[in-house]
Amino acid sequence: MHGRLKVRSTEEQKLLKQKEQQKKLRAYKYAMNQVAATRKEIPFNKDSLMLCAQVLSVNPDVYTLWNYRKEVVLQQLEMSKDEEVDDALVSFLENEIKLTEQCLLDNPKSYSSWHHRYWILQRHPKPNWQQEFSLITKYLTFDDRNFHCWDYRRLIINKIGISLCNELNFSTERLNINFSNYSSWHYRSTLRKLDSECLEEELELVQNAVFTDPNDSSAWFYLRWILSDRNVTNEKREELLESLTQLLDMDPDCKWILMAKCWLTGSLSLTDNHFAEKRIMDYKKLKELDPLRKGQYSDYLECAKKAIGTEK
Amino acid sequence: MATPIKDVVLDENRPKTLLAEKHADFIIKLFHSEDNYEFAITDYLRMSGMYWGLTALDLLHKRDKLLRVDLFDFIKSCQDPESGGISASLNHDPHLLHTLSAVQILCMYDKIDILDIEGVVKYVASLQQPDGSFSGDKWGEIDTRFSFCAVATLSLLKRMDSIDVDKAVKFIETCKNFDGGFGSRPLSESHAGLIYCCLGFLSITNRLDIVDRDTLAWWLCERQLPSGGLNGRPEKLPDVCYSWWVLSSLKLLGRLHWISSTDLENFIMACQDGETGGISDRPGDVADPYHTLFGLAALSLLGYSNIKMVNPTYCMPQEVIDRLGLKPQVLA
Repeated sequence: MHGRLKVRSTEEQKLLKQKEQQKKLRAYKYAMNQVAATRKEIPFNKDSLMLCAQVLSVNPDVYTLWNYRKEVVLQQLEMSKDEEVDDALVSFLENEIKLTEQCLLDNPKSYSSWHHRYWILQRHPKPNWQQEFSLITKYLTFDDRNFHCWDYRRLIINKIGISLCNELNFSTERLNINFSNYSSWHYRSTLRKLDSECLEEELELVQNAVFTDPNDSSAWFYLRWILSDRNVTNEKREELLESLTQLLDMDPDCKWILMAKCWLTGSLSLTDNHFAEKRIMDYKKLKELDPLRKGQYSDYLECAKKAIGTEK
Repeated sequence: MATPIKDVVLDENRPKTLLAEKHADFIIKLFHSEDNYEFAITDYLRMSGMYWGLTALDLLHKRDKLLRVDLFDFIKSCQDPESGGISASLNHDPHLLHTLSAVQILCMYDKIDILDIEGVVKYVASLQQPDGSFSGDKWGEIDTRFSFCAVATLSLLKRMDSIDVDKAVKFIETCKNFDGGFGSRPLSESHAGLIYCCLGFLSITNRLDIVDRDTLAWWLCERQLPSGGLNGRPEKLPDVCYSWWVLSSLKLLGRLHWISSTDLENFIMACQDGETGGISDRPGDVADPYHTLFGLAALSLLGYSNIKMVNPTYCMPQEVIDRLGLKPQVLA
C-alpha cells in the first residue's frame, strides 16, 4: 500500500464503506471461481472473460487472470492458424490491447498490464508498432519518470527501427524541458558510448544543466559518469574546475559543486600535488555542509590524507 | 528554476520509540482476518504477504504467538504438482515470487521437507532463459527480481548446481548502468529495489566483485533526504520500504556508515501507527505488513536492540541463515 493516507471516518461512513467492500469482494470471489471453473476444459468462455476484465480494470495485479487471458489468446491463435488473416482474431487481439490501455490509464505502473500488452502485440498478425510509438511518446509527457514507459519505448524503437540519432534528439528535447529529469539522463547514457568525439558535446550539455540549477541532483550523476572517462583531458578538467570555483562563489553552500570539485582534484592530484591540499579542504567542508553523509566524506578524507602522506 | 527537494516533514508528536507489542498484535490480527475485505481481496499476493508478516513477527521475537498448523497445509496446497512452482494462494498460478516466499517461510520454521523439493528445483531451473535471465513464470516476463528469486530459492535449498550460474551472472552484469546501479532489464533505469535484487543475487553467487562499489554506494547514500527517510530513485519521495532496499545494499557493499543511522531511525519510528500498530510507507499513511517488515528489518541492520539480527541478503533472521550454513558474500 503506497501513499494511502489514513483518514478518520464516522460510524455511518464506516458501515457504508463496509457494505461497498462486501459487494466488491463478492464480485471478486465470483469472478475468480468462474474463471477457475471454466479454465481447464474450455479456456474460451464469454462470461469468464468479461468478469475477468472487470476485475482487472479495478486491480491489474491479479496476475492469474492475465494468464487466463493468455491461454484464451493462444487458443484463438491456434484456431485461426490456417486462415490468412482472420478479422475476428484481429478484433479479439485489439480488444486485449484496449483492456491493457484501460488498466494502464489508472495504474501506469502495473507490470502485468505492460507485459500483457507487449505479449499480445508480439503475436498479432498485423501489429501497429507506429501506434505504440505514438502512445508511449504521449505517456512519457504525462509522467517522464515512469520507468515502465521508458522500457516499453526501448522495445518499440527496436521494432520500428528508429535511429539512434532520433532518440538522442528526443532525450535532448526532454532534458531541455526539464534538466532535473533523471530518467532522461539515464536514457541518454544508454545511447551514448563515451568516446573523444561525443565527450565535448556531452560535457557542454551537462555543464549547462548544473550551471542552470546547481542544487538539482540529477545532472551531477551524469557529470560524474562523463568525468570517469579517461579521454577527458587534464586541460578540460582544469577548465571545468575553474568554472566550478566561480560557481561556488555564487553559491558557497552547494555540496554538489564541492563534490564535483573533489572528483576533478582527485584525478588532477595524480600529476600535481597542490590539488590534493584543496581536496582535503573541500571534504572537510562537505562534512559540515552535508552531515547525513559525513561517513562517506570521512572515508574520502582519509584516502586524500593518505595519498599526500605517501607522496611526501 | 530551482527544483525543491521532494520530502516530508516529521511531526513533533510522532512516535519516537519502537511499538513492538503493537506491531506484533497488528500482524497476528491480520492472520486471523479471513473475512476481512483487505485480506480476502489480496489473495493474489498471499504467500508473499505471509512471508512479510511471519518474518516481521520473528524479528520481534514473537514467532511463538502464531502457531497455526494449517499454515503448512496451506503452503503445501499451493504447490502445483505439475510444474513444481508455488502460487500466491489457491486458484492462482505458480510464480517465482511466491515460490521464494514459501521456501523462505518453510526455512524459518525448519519445515522445508513438506514440499516436493525436486519439483521446486525443476520449476526454478525451467525458467532460466538462454541469455541467463529468469522469467517470473511460464509467460515470459523477464526481470532482475526473478534472477534474485531464483538464486535465493535454490541456495536455500542447496541446489545452485541446477542452473547455469555463470550465464545468470552475465545477465545481471548487462543490467549495470552509468551510475553503477541496476535496473529490471538491460538498459533499464537504476532503482533501489532492483539494486537490492542484483546485489543480493551477486552476494549469493559470490560475485560482488563486478560492482562499481563507490559509484553505486554514492548513488545509494544520496537517497537519504533531510527527513532521514530514503527514496528509491533521485527526486522521489521517501518510503520505508527503501529503508530496506537501500540500507541492505549499502550493508552488502560495506558502506552502511555512508548514511545517518539516527535520522533514518527517526523516520522509520515516525511511520509507525500508534493506534493500530504496523508501519506505513510515510508518516500518516495506512500501515501494512510489507512496510512493517521492511521497517523492522532496516532497524535491525541499524543495530536496534530488541529486534533479531536480520541477514541483508535474504531478509530473513540471521540465525536461520546460520542454521542452514549459508554464507552469502558481504564486502568488508
